[in-house]
Amino acid sequence: MIVTTPKPLDELLDFISSYTNILIAGCDGCTQPPRGLREAKTLSQLLELGGKLRNKNLAFKVTTVAKQCDTYLAASILKPQINGVEAVLALGCGIGAQTLAEIFPELPVFPAQNTHFMGAEDREGGILEERCVGCGDCLLAVTGGICPVARCSKGLLNGACGGSKEDKCELNPEKDCAWILIYERLKKLDKLELLKEFRPPRDYQLKGWKVTP
Amino acid sequence: MSQQVTQDVVAVKQNEDYCSSCSICSSLCPYEALKKDAETGKILLDIEKCQVCGLCYSTCPARAIDILYYDLDSLITYLERAKQEYDGDTLVIMCRGSAPDFGGVESLFGVSKFIPLLVPCVGRIPEEIYFNAILMGIKKINVLACDEDYCRYDRGSPVTGRKILALNLLLNQLGYGQEVITLKRHSLKVKADTNLCIACGNCVFYCPYDAAKLESPGGINFDLTACRGCGLCVAMCPAIALDLENWEKERISTLIAKLSSEMELPKILVFRCQWAVFPPLNGELLPNIGFIDLPCAARIDDSHILEAFQKGIDGVLIAACLEEECKQKKASGKAQHSVVALSKRLSQIGFQDRLHFCTVAPRYPEEFNRELEQFRKRIEAIYSKERR
Repeated sequence: MIVTTPKPLDELLDFISSYTNILIAGCDGCTQPPRGLREAKTLSQLLELGGKLRNKNLAFKVTTVAKQCDTYLAASILKPQINGVEAVLALGCGIGAQTLAEIFPELPVFPAQNTHFMGAEDREGGILEERCVGCGDCLLAVTGGICPVARCSKGLLNGACGGSKEDKCELNPEKDCAWILIYERLKKLDKLELLKEFRPPRDYQLKGWKVTP
Repeated sequence: MSQQVTQDVVAVKQNEDYCSSCSICSSLCPYEALKKDAETGKILLDIEKCQVCGLCYSTCPARAIDILYYDLDSLITYLERAKQEYDGDTLVIMCRGSAPDFGGVESLFGVSKFIPLLVPCVGRIPEEIYFNAILMGIKKINVLACDEDYCRYDRGSPVTGRKILALNLLLNQLGYGQEVITLKRHSLKVKADTNLCIACGNCVFYCPYDAAKLESPGGINFDLTACRGCGLCVAMCPAIALDLENWEKERISTLIAKLSSEMELPKILVFRCQWAVFPPLNGELLPNIGFIDLPCAARIDDSHILEAFQKGIDGVLIAACLEEECKQKKASGKAQHSVVALSKRLSQIGFQDRLHFCTVAPRYPEEFNRELEQFRKRIEAIYSKERR
């Protein structure tokens, strides 16, 4: 999922300080937790309260889109609701906000969240960690399903670097050493011989900026 | 601190002079707070384990248990007053844990005019109350207990069933007719609006009872026999697709609006988990404090807290059970997590210190009073500063 965190509300209040009628567009898509109708409503309540303390009456329309990054879907849901709206707050990821800006070229579109990475949640602790950098050349098949590009601080392909202390990364003692995880996993799978294969440097062109699926 | 604790009023006491060590209480206590000492044969009360369900109080044949809440005297005082106020001869005794609103009670029992008696667990009502009610001229008593496997105190609902069976036999023999007391069982259950569901799986993650299942394709499905109606999934659903049957969002919204319109300034709204704080039977007349008693703190929903502030409430206090004592498998801890997150966001817009979450236990009633008093002082200070 795409991992986002809400922007501080004072920053959002600054964004919308010169507008009165605002549309908050949620996204039910891949963020965790989904910032759908509930978050859109909660955000409108918080901003309305914050506006009052600043002697400003703000009016909100709240809605949500199944996938904000889908231009066609977002346009079909949002366009009929745009009448009278002066600014849009996008509760999707950075892609969602850009899609809305494209759909409404005449309106200011503000991101209501900061987008961090593609990751997964350790649900017990409520912590989300990066798992994929979208390198365009997936090598999970030979690393026991653990990505060293995303999870090794140095992005090593032929790790480990040797600096790991107590199974943690030497650059960040809170972070697991990806190469130790890979070693343990391959051992369990009885595939340690995979570690002996040399992996040449990554071809950065494979990442690309545009693809045809 | 320790001195303060020892001086605290304790909600349940055992009077050793009356105790005949019959062990009825220790065999019923759901929390092993009452135990027979193997050596002396005496019954010992460990108040730290006690959840004040009142089962021991209502069943002790020697009246050797003193309880602070809903004891005989206060129940009788309440009934006398309520009989005048509601002017009826039908009494409905309900467990707050599953009671629907009064409209729901009407349709369950087919009565339109009745005297309501809401208690945390009907298992705590002693037999004497039924007799007293009948002596007061009450003709019909309806009891609404939780479904047996839903009873938050485990044995409160089954014990009530047996008690009523025996009472009805007795009343019949005395000539009051058959079935003077009617028992019905009820539980709160989740209901899902599948048109709104976005199949995100949050409810599957949060449900403490594994009642929510998400299949792909197929969407969300609730196993209602497993659902214990805590409302955590309702509060956490990002799509607002869930609700609690008979404790709908609108009911809470209506209560917030009503209380807010009646309260004096500065207005303080308290959401109480009914298992953490027992509402006094004979009224709490505090002009600027309003109470909403919820079947679990997990039902606290960000939007209701914000709605309260929007309606002009100055401070919101949430009183929940200690996480390890939560009657809903630690749902209280999850509620705390989301309240703390909301409180952080409130401070970003200038509403700091106005939302407070506390955990209390009914065995020390002063704990809640202290929290409320501290919070009241805090809100009054904020209020007077703002007015200046």
